[in-house]
Amino acid sequence: MSGTEPLLSVESLTTHFHTEEGTVRAVDGVDFDVYRGETVAIVGESGSGKTVTSESVTKIIDIPPGEIVDGSVTFDGRELTGLSDEELQEIRGDRISHVFQNPQNGLNPVYRVGRQIGEVLRIHEDGISDAEVRRRVVDLLDRTGIPEASSRVDDYPHEFSGGMKQRVLIAMALARDPDLLIADEPTTALDVTIQAQILRLLEELQADFDMSVIFVTHDLAVVSEIADRVVVMYAGKVMERGRVEEVFEAPAHPYTRSLIACLPGRGSAMRRIEGSLPEATDPPEGCRFHPRCEYATDGCASGDQPPLYHVGGDGNRQSPAPVGGDADHTAACVYYGPAHDVSTLEDGGDRQ
Amino acid sequence: MATQRETDVTARTDRETFEEVDWDTQEVSTFNVSRTAVAELLAYGAIVVLFAYDYAVIRNEHPLIANWDVLSVEWLFVATLVAVFFHGVVPLYRNPRMREFYWSRFVKNRVAVAALVYLLVVFVIGIVGPAVMSPPETRFTNRIVPPVGITATVGGVVKTGTWQFPLGTTAEGKGVLKLIVYGMRVSMEVGLIGTVFTVLIGSVVGSLAALATALDIGWLDEVLMRYVDVQSVFPTFMLLLLLTYLFGSELWMIILLFGFFSWEGIARTVRGEALQRSSEAYVTAARASGASMLYIVQRHLIPNSANSIVIGATVAIPGFILGEASLAFLGFSDPTTFSWGRTISAGQSNLATAWWISTFPGIFLFFTVLSFYYVGEAMRDAMDPRQQIEGGGGL
Amino acid sequence: MKWYILKRVLWTFVAMWIALTLTFGLISASPNPGQMRATMSCAAVGENPQECREQFRERNNLDQPVTERYKNYMVNMVTLNWGWSESRSQYVIPAILDAWRFTAQYAIPVLVISTLVGYGLGLYSAYKPYTVTDYTASFVGFFGISIPNFWFALVLIILLGTRVELVPTYYQSGIPIQQGWLSLANLRQLILPVTVLLTASLAWQMRYSRAQALEQMNAEFVKVAKAKGASQYRLMIWHVLRMAAVPLSTSFVGSLLAIFWSGSVIIEQIFAIPGLGLMTYTAIVEQDTPLVLATTLVTVFLAIFGNLLEDIAYVILDPRIDYGNR
Ligand code: SF4
Repeated sequence: MSGTEPLLSVESLTTHFHTEEGTVRAVDGVDFDVYRGETVAIVGESGSGKTVTSESVTKIIDIPPGEIVDGSVTFDGRELTGLSDEELQEIRGDRISHVFQNPQNGLNPVYRVGRQIGEVLRIHEDGISDAEVRRRVVDLLDRTGIPEASSRVDDYPHEFSGGMKQRVLIAMALARDPDLLIADEPTTALDVTIQAQILRLLEELQADFDMSVIFVTHDLAVVSEIADRVVVMYAGKVMERGRVEEVFEAPAHPYTRSLIACLPGRGSAMRRIEGSLPEATDPPEGCRFHPRCEYATDGCASGDQPPLYHVGGDGNRQSPAPVGGDADHTAACVYYGPAHDVSTLEDGGDRQ
Repeated sequence: MATQRETDVTARTDRETFEEVDWDTQEVSTFNVSRTAVAELLAYGAIVVLFAYDYAVIRNEHPLIANWDVLSVEWLFVATLVAVFFHGVVPLYRNPRMREFYWSRFVKNRVAVAALVYLLVVFVIGIVGPAVMSPPETRFTNRIVPPVGITATVGGVVKTGTWQFPLGTTAEGKGVLKLIVYGMRVSMEVGLIGTVFTVLIGSVVGSLAALATALDIGWLDEVLMRYVDVQSVFPTFMLLLLLTYLFGSELWMIILLFGFFSWEGIARTVRGEALQRSSEAYVTAARASGASMLYIVQRHLIPNSANSIVIGATVAIPGFILGEASLAFLGFSDPTTFSWGRTISAGQSNLATAWWISTFPGIFLFFTVLSFYYVGEAMRDAMDPRQQIEGGGGL
Repeated sequence: MKWYILKRVLWTFVAMWIALTLTFGLISASPNPGQMRATMSCAAVGENPQECREQFRERNNLDQPVTERYKNYMVNMVTLNWGWSESRSQYVIPAILDAWRFTAQYAIPVLVISTLVGYGLGLYSAYKPYTVTDYTASFVGFFGISIPNFWFALVLIILLGTRVELVPTYYQSGIPIQQGWLSLANLRQLILPVTVLLTASLAWQMRYSRAQALEQMNAEFVKVAKAKGASQYRLMIWHVLRMAAVPLSTSFVGSLLAIFWSGSVIIEQIFAIPGLGLMTYTAIVEQDTPLVLATTLVTVFLAIFGNLLEDIAYVILDPRIDYGNR
């Protein structure tokens, strides 16, 4: 699964939005890596900063009002945060591409779908012939499971259903055989049966095109199906990171635990986490989660977010995880740090 | 972008807006509402009685109150002010939270605040000025005097302006300053009466169309909206020219014609908003609880589009003021009123020698219209949630 | 689509018929200023006003029953027999044919310039919203829509015409006839009228296009296009402008005509340009009912025709439209 060098390495990424109500610290020092061929899920509630994180990679966010204040994004050995817009345009859609949440409005309603997919090819391949564009577009539609692709190319978006539109958008994202696909809630807006189809399609295509995927979602059930590793975000911060099996079987962070407890069929049925997300312009001191955390100690309410500590393996429990991280299981909670007894957490968890 | 939108949504739900507040208070405190409604009706009743008295008993022969001989347009103006008071000032007074919320957003636009202050000054002077000042009089001894401190050669005679006529006089010897003060009254009358009339027709037609759709009387909606289409195609200005040509040009008539031919936008908005917020849901709910149609329209459909109506109205006001001034400039408006447009036109034949006659009223006209547009824009920024993401707006 | 367009064309005729009927109704219901004038001028020269009134009524067939008059009116209108203009001593149709060129010579350039420049500025300020450029553009926009065109014209005359005599302050209709429409002298005397009309129409075009473009900028497909690697130029022109063209097409003719009608009456009155606007003005002042009617109808018909063009443009620009429904 993992090569030696990560394909994408995000380090202490910090993205702010300057609004009338104040500065929104949407992403506040996020680290994670993506290796070649793997799927990393970024999980969080809406407002956790997961979407902004994914859109900060190639700066799709609007700047201004957005601003990448700090951090670095290294893609295939190249630093992206300092690149000019023209340089980023060459990467977007070519080596890193996106699929977004809302297929209904993702296509420009006034152009035929074939033309919109072809746009990617025309942008990135100078002097490509019309016939070649058409041939490849039909092929892409075919591969993304659109029946009668050769006649559907000439249809307008409103003649497609939501699920079919999402297939078109996926075809568009794959047109240039990217190294990294960032899929932001690609199934949320679809019917349940279609969701499953699209997920399966994405899995197949990932193998087919041999690419890495960042899968942004609020839906833990989907994560367990599709991802290799998970990054759990809350209020702009990473709460927990690790391999999917580890996080699901032994969630470490109190936030992750309550998220997993909320999953249907997990013990206490359909619980909700008490309280609500903090104001994005004015996040709480200390651990972002402390106002809602049932284990919070006095120390949790001051200072900064605890660093990511290793979970499990006794030897390195006490030391903060190396920045940039790897496949290790880590959690940003004081109980995994020095001078705390993690068994308190275990007991509390059992009490639930 | 996504995060911003999310925060906006949460920010919005904690605060009250016009729409929600109207809804709540009217549901809860029916007693208060009915009391204001009674007060409003009484006010209109008093106006009607006085009007009847003025026309039937004293036959409009001598002034009604003290030396204020109320003109026909002024009856409408008083009624308009009553309507604005009960539907604008009272709800704002009743809901301090809403008031403060909108105000805190509005004041972010400094220029708009200045514009609002300017408009209030014009409004107050326009009301008070003509009441305490005698009307401008034709005096040939005072023909074409330059503004104070300015020396000009008029018809071969060198004249210097004095404080008697701070902004100079016209070719008829009328003081330009006085004409400007009287013009303020005219402009406010045109803008406010016309707009209230527009809002009235527009919201009635709009909610009727929406109700018709909700109640499955599709053809009524179709007929109404087709008519709206036809009317919006007609060039209003030419229609006004034709109508004032055929039927005469008293100010109250011009104002009502403005209102009568300009309500399409409001009707479309009210209908759209009412339909969009799933009118059927409240219509069924309200019907189940035995509420009358009028009640549904008054309490649900109209309050729900209050924001759009207010925004539409603020844009209509400057349009009407400019329209009347244009008519007056061409000489097709009421010749008995002192419209700014008429004063500007009076200076047209003396442009080379007496520049002040056209210039000063024009400056006031320009700033009044500009201020209304500015305030309208700032109000839209403050009230329209869709605009919240975009921030500031304006200068 | 063919059926849709056919339906719209038919609708155009219905609208024209409604307009004609309405104007007929209005004229029949009005006290008829032309008749009042005729009666008064009789009285002034000492003739029996009653007799003159009868004569006028007979001359204008006012003594016939309403249905008969309506029939005649419609037949006359359709056969382009629009009557005789007393004030110009000329038939109405040739009068219009004489006048339109004087209006078109400044209106068409203003239309083209204001659309190109207005849309360009609107798009640019939507592309960089809330920057200095945007604020400047928005200030210019507010200035343009707020300044009363008649006052603006007078101020320009005072500043540029009477003080420094840079440009002619009124229009000499002999110049285009003798020296040609494109002669320097003719262009020079059009500078002020064009400036005045351009200010308002440019401002409105800019505001409309900026608002529509801003709305489209937030659309999901713009983000998708950005993620494809589209350049800013491609984003703004190929996606945003093309999409904004749909709503803009529905208000384009209507909003411009509104500015142009009132604008042309005022501008031609101020600068003495003998076009359709001045014709409307003098027709009213001279109480020349056939001419007033004609100028009104010309503008109404143009508006109806413009509306037809808008509707056709709309279905061409927006593939989503459901023909069955409209
Ligand atoms: S750091 Fe404290 S508040 Fe945060 S999750 Fe751990 S125990 Fe809870």
